[in-house]
Amino acid sequence: MSYIRFEKINKIFGTNHVLKDIDLDVEKGQLVTLLGPSGCGKSTLLRCLAGLEQVTDGHIYLDGQEITDVVPRRRGIGMVFQQYSLFPNMNVRDNVAYGLKLKKIPKAEIDQKVTQMLEIVGLSEKISQYPAQLSGGQQQRVALARAMVTAPKVLLLDEPLSAIDALLRKNLQIEIRRIQQQLGITTIFVTHDQDEAMVMSDMIHLFHNGRIEQSGTPEQIYTRPATKFAATFIGNYNLPSAADFNRVFHTDIAGQDVAVRPEIIVLSKAPVQPSDTLLAAEGKIVSHISHGNLIRFGIDFDGLPLNADVVFENRMDFTEGDRVFACIKKDLVIGL
Amino acid sequence: MKKGTKTSANIVMTIVIVWLLIPLLATIIYSLFEDWTGIVPRGFTLANYQKIFTDTAFLTAMYQTLIVCVIPIAITIVVVLLALFVVTVYFPRLEKYVQILCMIPYTIQGVILSVSILILYAKGKSLLSGRMVMLMGAYCIIILPHIYNGIRNGMRAINMNMLLEAAEMLGESKLRAFFKVIVPNILTGITVSSLLAVGLLFGDYVIIRNLSSTNVNNMQKFLYQAMKRSSTEASAVFVVIMLITFAITAVVLTLQNRSTLEKIRNGGK
Amino acid sequence: MQQKSKHSMLTSRNNRYFYLLALIPFLFLIVMYELLPLIMLVVDSFGLDKDASVRFTLENYKKIFSTLSYQRAIINSLKITTISTVIGIVVAFLGARAAYNSRGKFRNVFLTILNMTSNFAGVPLAFAYMIILGNAGVIKQIADIYGIEFVRNFDLYTSKGLTMMYVYFQIPLSTLLLIPAFNGIRKEWGEANMLLGGSSTHFWTRVGIPVLLPSLFSTLSVLFANALCAYATAYALLMNNFSLLPVNISASFVGDIKTKPKLGAALSVVMMLIMCLVILLNNFITKKTTKWESR
Repeated sequence: MSYIRFEKINKIFGTNHVLKDIDLDVEKGQLVTLLGPSGCGKSTLLRCLAGLEQVTDGHIYLDGQEITDVVPRRRGIGMVFQQYSLFPNMNVRDNVAYGLKLKKIPKAEIDQKVTQMLEIVGLSEKISQYPAQLSGGQQQRVALARAMVTAPKVLLLDEPLSAIDALLRKNLQIEIRRIQQQLGITTIFVTHDQDEAMVMSDMIHLFHNGRIEQSGTPEQIYTRPATKFAATFIGNYNLPSAADFNRVFHTDIAGQDVAVRPEIIVLSKAPVQPSDTLLAAEGKIVSHISHGNLIRFGIDFDGLPLNADVVFENRMDFTEGDRVFACIKKDLVIGL
Repeated sequence: MKKGTKTSANIVMTIVIVWLLIPLLATIIYSLFEDWTGIVPRGFTLANYQKIFTDTAFLTAMYQTLIVCVIPIAITIVVVLLALFVVTVYFPRLEKYVQILCMIPYTIQGVILSVSILILYAKGKSLLSGRMVMLMGAYCIIILPHIYNGIRNGMRAINMNMLLEAAEMLGESKLRAFFKVIVPNILTGITVSSLLAVGLLFGDYVIIRNLSSTNVNNMQKFLYQAMKRSSTEASAVFVVIMLITFAITAVVLTLQNRSTLEKIRNGGK
Repeated sequence: MQQKSKHSMLTSRNNRYFYLLALIPFLFLIVMYELLPLIMLVVDSFGLDKDASVRFTLENYKKIFSTLSYQRAIINSLKITTISTVIGIVVAFLGARAAYNSRGKFRNVFLTILNMTSNFAGVPLAFAYMIILGNAGVIKQIADIYGIEFVRNFDLYTSKGLTMMYVYFQIPLSTLLLIPAFNGIRKEWGEANMLLGGSSTHFWTRVGIPVLLPSLFSTLSVLFANALCAYATAYALLMNNFSLLPVNISASFVGDIKTKPKLGAALSVVMMLIMCLVILLNNFITKKTTKWESR
């Protein structure tokens, strides 16, 4: 059996059916992300694993044991919350040592583990400071240290970076991933930010309305969204109707909608010959927006609007009103 | 929410509620019966209430209580409104001194305030030595912190300076704007703190005992005297006092809840 | 000053001092009924009741600290105040925590009852207790019938009875003051404690109460001042027969026995000093134990 197993999990709050028949497996040592919009149930599933919520129906297994009815303190799980993670009346050392002190571990050993863990998260010099003196990112790193120092079986991270500013967030994403891989600790990460999920995960589970819409590696989910919702949520997909797309590109993609990634639309000034594997069409540049390293062109293909992303260095001076030719590799287009 | 925690929470709250309500309920029941010397009282009657409501001394005491509560509140509101308007708009640096002066009564409370006023004025022959004047003065001071807080919080909540500047830009003088715009908007705050002040004055015993003459009675003084005469009559007076106090508290709570709901509805602007 | 410039006089920057006039009523009230009386109180405490010509002497203070009845007044006041304050804060903590742990209708009922009974003090409180636990008290009669000894033998008209009443009016006040403080207890802390292996007791002793300390201390301050200055409850129950600071002070000014206003003034100053001391002590302890707060 896999390291963590959720079996037919159902959770109902009042009249709200938040989790519907969730089956999920997590392998040991992986960092798995639960991704989805607010209210889709991902945090609830995490809290059920931690024991902070009781499942209405279903079973949870950890390391071969059923833990569905076990109290949180006996589950051997570490968790980092979105905010208010640290105990404000204790300094960094005492916060990190908290779980160890409760286990009645000898003081010398506690000191050693705490120092070690703070080094791993890069905050050794803040050991005597209080949470009020730390930045948001530093507080979350200490919270991480505190959760991991007790060597839990699973580490749960509930949108830990949502309250952190954008620039710092990127650094912390990489940090957390590095630490997780260094310690080999099985981790479940919850976020609504798809970029974050892409950067950090071994596996992504996309949640929608209490069910898992799609599971896969970041690359799989990114290049092959299984549903319209997945395509809307991940990446910046163009989602024209199949009818419109087939008309403009003279092809026969099956399904109701078509998912086309902006970066697979290749632009040129000269006409392109379509083939079995290459779709082509002519259009007119309607807009262009610079996103730093990318330029996004809005193009009108005979009434069908599509976005095409071009790396800045390859931008070819297109302006509004220019005629442009586009080609797309047929097997990169997904019918939904 | 763990079930166990919720149950023990309910138990604790029940114990406290019972402890707090027993004296109240017992006295209310006592006032409604002729005799209670066993477990069960005997002889339901409203005679006690009849007696006090036909007693001119009681009715006079009620009337005097009203006068002695309402006048200081009115005076203090006007005084504080004027002072806070002028200080907030023209002399903001004085505000913390005003605040300190208004908070001192919290520490002096009834006993010290009443005797210190006695020391200063009792011997003299001037207008200020009149017992009523001393009483009114003491009452104004004792409610000062509440009235001050109510008005100041109201001014803060509506960002008074900004509103006055906007009014000025539209051509209104600051003073007129104060009375046409500001005061109506802080009316809830003023009302709530006035009611709190009424509750405070209504419950006062020490100041009126020390400062007023024997023919001036508020309800508390009247109860004290009734207590010495007849406990059945006194219990009826007690119930009247309690009903009035509860009514005041209920109105305060309703107004406070309403203004909180408004704030939530307005999105905390 | 001409007619037209009256308006400009009101609005001109130079003449905003005109607006100081609005402060006059306020200052009158404050000076005449707050500041001057207090000053007079302190000044008079150094005078002598027997000899009006004496300006400065510590005679009154010496008398207070050497006479048994005044010593007793101070001790009784401190005793009853401290006991009722301590019990009050313990009950308030338990009650506020209970309110924090519960939701819905019952919590609102609890809050309403606290608000209603918070005004229940002084003469009405004493009277109600006399009705139930006085010599012919209702509860005492019931205890008589059932033979419950310790209630039968309970004498309301002692310092024990008085303390009981003080506890009664401290509870709603302290609980209402403490309940908002619990809003600052984040549920994430409790959950983190659980996952790290702690029990509810661990949480409250290591995190909850330390975080609440500032509010606990400020509530202690309020409770102490509230009980120390309480007059009506004690007077209604025991009149002038029990030595208590507020009672002795009032008796020196108003009453059947010979009035000693200057001694009473000294007693008042002593009472104020006690309060200031307690407040200062309180602030000191608060600062020492809440170093972790952001400043």
